[in-house]
Amino acid sequence: MTKKPKVAIYWLGACGGCDEAIVDLNELLLDVASSVEIVLWPLAMDRKYDSIQRLPDRSIALSIIHGNVRNSEHEEMARLLRAKSELVLSFGSCACFGGSTGLANFCGRDSIFEWVYRESPTVENPKGETPKPKSTVDGHSVTLPEILDHVYALNQVIPVDYYLPGCPPPPDLIFHAITAVLEGKLPPRGAALAPQKALCESCPRNNTKPPRIDIKEIRRPHEVEVDSHVCFLVEGVICMGPATRGGCGETCLRINTPCRGCFGPVEGVEDAGAKFLSAFASLVRATTDEQVQSIMEKFHDPVGYLYRFTQPSSTLGKRTKSRGTV
Amino acid sequence: MQPYEPTIICFSCCFGWGYLTGRDVLSVRIKHWVPVICSGKLDSTHIMKAFREGADGVLILGCPDGDCHFQDGNYQTRKKVHLLHKVLASYGIDPRRLRMELGTDPDGDTIPKLIQNMGRELRQLGPLKVNGQAVEA
Amino acid sequence: MWKVVNTGSASAEEALKQYLPPCQMKCPINEDIQRTNVLISMLPLDPDEALQGIIQIGDYLYERNPLFPVCGYVCGLCELECNYQEKGGAIRRRLLKRFISDHYIDQIRNKEELNVEKTKENVAVVGGGPAGLLAAYDLSRRGFRVTIFEASDRLGGALWLIPHYRLPEDVLTSAVNNLVRICEADVKLNARIGDGKLTLDKLRKDGFKAVFIAKGTPLPRILTYGKEKVEGQELSGVMYGQTFLYEVSHGNIQAGYFRGKKVIVIGGGNVAFDVARTACRLGGETTVICLECSDKSSRDGIPADEDEIKGAWEEGIRIIFSRGVKKIIGQGGKFQKIECPLCSSVFDDNGFNPQFDPTDSIAVEGDVLMITVGQGPDRSFLQKEDLLSDKGGLAVDPLTLQSRNKDWVFIGGDMRRIGFMVEAMHEGLVAAESIERYLRGLDMKVGRKRQFEAQDIPYRRVYKHEPEVVWIPPEKRLHFQLFERGFSLKEAIEEARRCARCGPCVSCKACLALDIQEGLPTVEVNEDVCSGCGICASICYYGAAESRYKDGSMISSTDVFRCKACGMCVVACPSQARKMTGDTMDQKIKAVFAGLTA
Repeated sequence: MTKKPKVAIYWLGACGGCDEAIVDLNELLLDVASSVEIVLWPLAMDRKYDSIQRLPDRSIALSIIHGNVRNSEHEEMARLLRAKSELVLSFGSCACFGGSTGLANFCGRDSIFEWVYRESPTVENPKGETPKPKSTVDGHSVTLPEILDHVYALNQVIPVDYYLPGCPPPPDLIFHAITAVLEGKLPPRGAALAPQKALCESCPRNNTKPPRIDIKEIRRPHEVEVDSHVCFLVEGVICMGPATRGGCGETCLRINTPCRGCFGPVEGVEDAGAKFLSAFASLVRATTDEQVQSIMEKFHDPVGYLYRFTQPSSTLGKRTKSRGTV
Repeated sequence: MQPYEPTIICFSCCFGWGYLTGRDVLSVRIKHWVPVICSGKLDSTHIMKAFREGADGVLILGCPDGDCHFQDGNYQTRKKVHLLHKVLASYGIDPRRLRMELGTDPDGDTIPKLIQNMGRELRQLGPLKVNGQAVEA
Repeated sequence: MWKVVNTGSASAEEALKQYLPPCQMKCPINEDIQRTNVLISMLPLDPDEALQGIIQIGDYLYERNPLFPVCGYVCGLCELECNYQEKGGAIRRRLLKRFISDHYIDQIRNKEELNVEKTKENVAVVGGGPAGLLAAYDLSRRGFRVTIFEASDRLGGALWLIPHYRLPEDVLTSAVNNLVRICEADVKLNARIGDGKLTLDKLRKDGFKAVFIAKGTPLPRILTYGKEKVEGQELSGVMYGQTFLYEVSHGNIQAGYFRGKKVIVIGGGNVAFDVARTACRLGGETTVICLECSDKSSRDGIPADEDEIKGAWEEGIRIIFSRGVKKIIGQGGKFQKIECPLCSSVFDDNGFNPQFDPTDSIAVEGDVLMITVGQGPDRSFLQKEDLLSDKGGLAVDPLTLQSRNKDWVFIGGDMRRIGFMVEAMHEGLVAAESIERYLRGLDMKVGRKRQFEAQDIPYRRVYKHEPEVVWIPPEKRLHFQLFERGFSLKEAIEEARRCARCGPCVSCKACLALDIQEGLPTVEVNEDVCSGCGICASICYYGAAESRYKDGSMISSTDVFRCKACGMCVVACPSQARKMTGDTMDQKIKAVFAGLTA
């Protein structure tokens, strides 16, 4: 009997949505499961850390790693799986770009701790305790993974072979990606297993745009009812679609919600937020500087929009984590 | 040890600034200078990269409002600068580090002075840090 | 101070249609209006420093149009088509040219001769007016040995009709006399071809291998009513406006000549107004009577320029519209009055065909009657020289200006078809090209027919108003000095800056001349990444970027003729699907970044 390729599915700093998306393959999951040997999948199977450690290097054909690197355990597991795997697939926006929890980088670990464990009005923590990597409880020494000072995308910690963005990636893309690996029909390493172009290409609202879009007022989604065939930008609602890679099937747009950019930048672009800023600014139409300022005033929390999923991989925010650094 | 001297990149529009003086003459007086054909050609990516690559400050010199050779290039960049100030603030970068001046100086004599003035202000802020940390190369 | 590098001009590929700004299309010689506007806008504010730049611009204009100083005073054709008209007022290009001319005229006097080796054939130019002068200049530049035969005692032709309050005498004489000096053409004054032994055959025998005839329209048209000549045109006190203007230009009419006299000018064109305003300056109480009506937008509207009509009205000249002249009545051989029936229409679908209502007629009394209803060529000369067709019209190819009857004869200018000064100049240039092709045995027609398409005004947020033109108040300007104030350096720079630069890069290249760019970059779209979001099309001020269907998807493209490579679309593209090739900004930025931490 030919040996089935080994596959690992592991979560780092994750919410579980990516695992959920894999489960959403439904019946197809059974096909996949029967063609591979899943050696690690905390969500669904009971395997331990040592069983992975014992494997020879490069013996796992494919490690699907989702979630960002937020604590020391994430870093350790990422490095371990990299050593034991032939291919590493960075799965989901957290792994690919750092994800929405990457926004924590704008605050820093210490101020987050301060708020969560001490300052928040609903916290009762008279001793001001915060999680510590090592502490003594009833005479026993216990350890916790250390929360790193910075949120990292996966490829800032280990070399990554392929990327599948999305929050979470849609089942059809997942199935194609896994099949591609199993059939050996992969593009050159470093590629994203998703369409190259921005969302507008497949968006049904794209062809009703007027030749010139004039944004004279920025409006929040709850302030205006946008027809299902009208582009959000035309109505002054911020939609990250033009700067976001396509492939999600426009699930948000179909329920009348503007795109938030979870698929990250288009092929070849490093910083989707910066590009969207330029594109969006060009659509704002005003005559005087004061008018421009008052329009921009309504763009509350620009980095929240622009870098909702991509802060750790943005031009200004990116960092690499070598062993031993914080 | 040398006292801290902020590194400022100056992008200036060729149709408004310094077009009467030879480029080689001006480039001696302006240390980090990128003359561009229109201030509208500057993208947010250029500005963010400038900070990433070691600039402590970015000065953009565009033409007066309504005088752009390419119609409204200066205005386009002005809009980006408004938004960029907000974005930079979230990254812990003081908005004073990105400055755009609209005006015209055919000889380019005021450019070194403008950079000097900006430098004086930035000296007080110290070297650039992004969210509290020095920028890694 | 920048040094103009003369790279490129409004050159067109032979077969392709070319885009031009509408001003350059309207200009009969397709002058590089946009390019020179940009150059003027980049002059230093200090007049002494600016002179160097002005001379460079003047040199550039002179090369292509040695009579440009005259244009700066009398020609504003381009302004009629300027895209800015509807947005705040046409760019005052004529005044910009005048500004250059005023500071360049000294240069012209000291300009060096072309010093071209005249190795080619002898060519005769008959007529020393604008058409002949440009032909002579261009032919000399090409290496032909040119002789100009001018019937009168001075060069300039119909330019002498223009009163000195519009065109100063020294500008005219400097431009014209230095032209022939600089191109080293031989000039024979008081030599009327067609007089006695001076025939075309004689020219041929004397060794001239080709001749360009541009004798203009020296003969004033006589006054007619319907098809009949109006009686009384020989009365004392009746003269032809054209003749009168020539007399004035010769200095033969003393100041105050018409004091106390009532002068009536018949005619509605610019020449009639030149006559009227001249008569007014000579003390006359002047009235203009014309067939046409006052509504310039109608077919029958008065043809004179608005500025002329306004100026005349300010100077106290009365204008009577829609009247013809049926009878000229005299007493004792002296002009006394005219009978003027109402003219109900001037043109019909077939052309000039004035209709009158004789029941509505007024009498207008006067001391002097100036008939200024047009001028015509010397047809007897054309007939004698066998240059007419069987039907009686001029037998000439309109594209090449070659006579259909004698292949070594070329005819152009007002003589062929009455038009504006610069149209005549253009025909001089056409004739020069034709003569060269003819003498070299080349095809006469290939590449001659040029098609142009006008570009629209770029979109921008704010359009600026035209500056006011300052005239000396009417009570102070009844003399023959200029009454229009020209631009100061600051005003010229500002107005030149207001130009929207409608035209494509290939016909301008001012930025290359100023050494602001090393080449003209082009914008490319990477179709693998372009999502067809249309943001580039939204921001493009020139209508160059467009998003349209291609093989089922929306893709953007760039019209290379409209694109100015300004880079807005490249910046606005959220997919980074656009880039500029042939552009050095990215390299410069990279180099500066590399030097940051050094």
